[in-house]
Amino acid sequence: MPGLTRQEAERYLYYAMEIGEAMLLCGAEVGRVEDSIRRICIAYGARRVDVFTITSSIVTTVYGEEFLSCTQTRRVSSMKNDLSRLNALNCLSREICEKKLSAEEIASRLEAIQSTPGYPFPVQAALYAVVSAAFCIFFGGSWEDMLVSAAIGVCLKFVESFLQKGSSNPLLIALLCAATGGLLSNLAVSAGFGNSSDSISIGNIMLLIPGMAFTNSIRDIFSKDMITGLVRFVEAVVLAIAVALGFTFANFL
Amino acid sequence: MRELLQLLTACIGALGFALLYNTRGINVLFAAVGGLLGWAAFLGAGVLWGPNDYIGGFAASVMLTVYAECMARIRKTPVTVFLVCGAIPLVPGAALYRAMKYLTAGNIQMFREQSAYALLFAASMSAGIMVTTIIFRLCWSFIAKDAKEKRRRI
Repeated sequence: MPGLTRQEAERYLYYAMEIGEAMLLCGAEVGRVEDSIRRICIAYGARRVDVFTITSSIVTTVYGEEFLSCTQTRRVSSMKNDLSRLNALNCLSREICEKKLSAEEIASRLEAIQSTPGYPFPVQAALYAVVSAAFCIFFGGSWEDMLVSAAIGVCLKFVESFLQKGSSNPLLIALLCAATGGLLSNLAVSAGFGNSSDSISIGNIMLLIPGMAFTNSIRDIFSKDMITGLVRFVEAVVLAIAVALGFTFANFL
Repeated sequence: MRELLQLLTACIGALGFALLYNTRGINVLFAAVGGLLGWAAFLGAGVLWGPNDYIGGFAASVMLTVYAECMARIRKTPVTVFLVCGAIPLVPGAALYRAMKYLTAGNIQMFREQSAYALLFAASMSAGIMVTTIIFRLCWSFIAKDAKEKRRRI
């Protein structure tokens, strides 16, 4: 196979980066992102690929006989856990390595993956209720607490989506959501619904605690991606403390 | 009774989170089973080695990780999908909440106790995930005969 021209190399690298960035956004481990980009570039004939990824940035340089070297970087700013998209991207990158899809084909496949919608808002609100109710019982709440916790879970979804329109700071959003949750649970108990505001809040707190970030950070640390692992770990811990503090804030009032 | 209720709610909680993380199709159910198995291992460890939550957390995450790694290979899906949702019931949210509550109430003694519990429980859970991932992958690289199968990213 003849070497890639400069233009082709840049184009394929662009799509490899596009896939890597999308994976990172859905909550993939850094190792997976680096591995995917490397495999795609090598499949298209790069002689050597150097990828460096941390939570907020991807840098890739590919080397080849004809185009010498080519570097692209990405600044990755936000993050939204989406496991079905991650799965689809993973399948796409495997397929690219096996079949060497053309650039147009990759573009249209990526477009299709990116435009798959999430679950609609009412379903998500219902899920917040179900998760709160489940963990309220799980940590030993009563049935009455469970109902109140579910109702507050739905409220939290509304508050969260309202706040997300105004701010992109996850720490602030989590803190305000948590404070609202704590306030509502105290109000509910003093109005005579539910037995213990603690049990109610414990059900709600599980919604906001960054379980996925925590699990991923541990996996990152032990797959030698120390920087990302530590950054994600600290993020998760700070967020968890903010959430827990937010819920107890109402006790001051 | 309480144990059964916990198993059921752990399963529902994991299912809820799988959906919140936008998992699709049959993987949602497999992720929910992960939550159930993890908590079953926690309770089982309590019966076998006495009521020590840290050993329970370790056993739960070992069980969960083995399940997740196996399912990832069967379903050809990233491990994350099964691992993360199943790990949610093992997050010490209640202890964290109580720790912060005692902190704001000025009860430092209880704050220490609860935050140490939350920290140690999270640590034993992470240790379980790590040890199992490393050992499982080591074993897998011996088992997988096909070189391509070995290299395949899970």
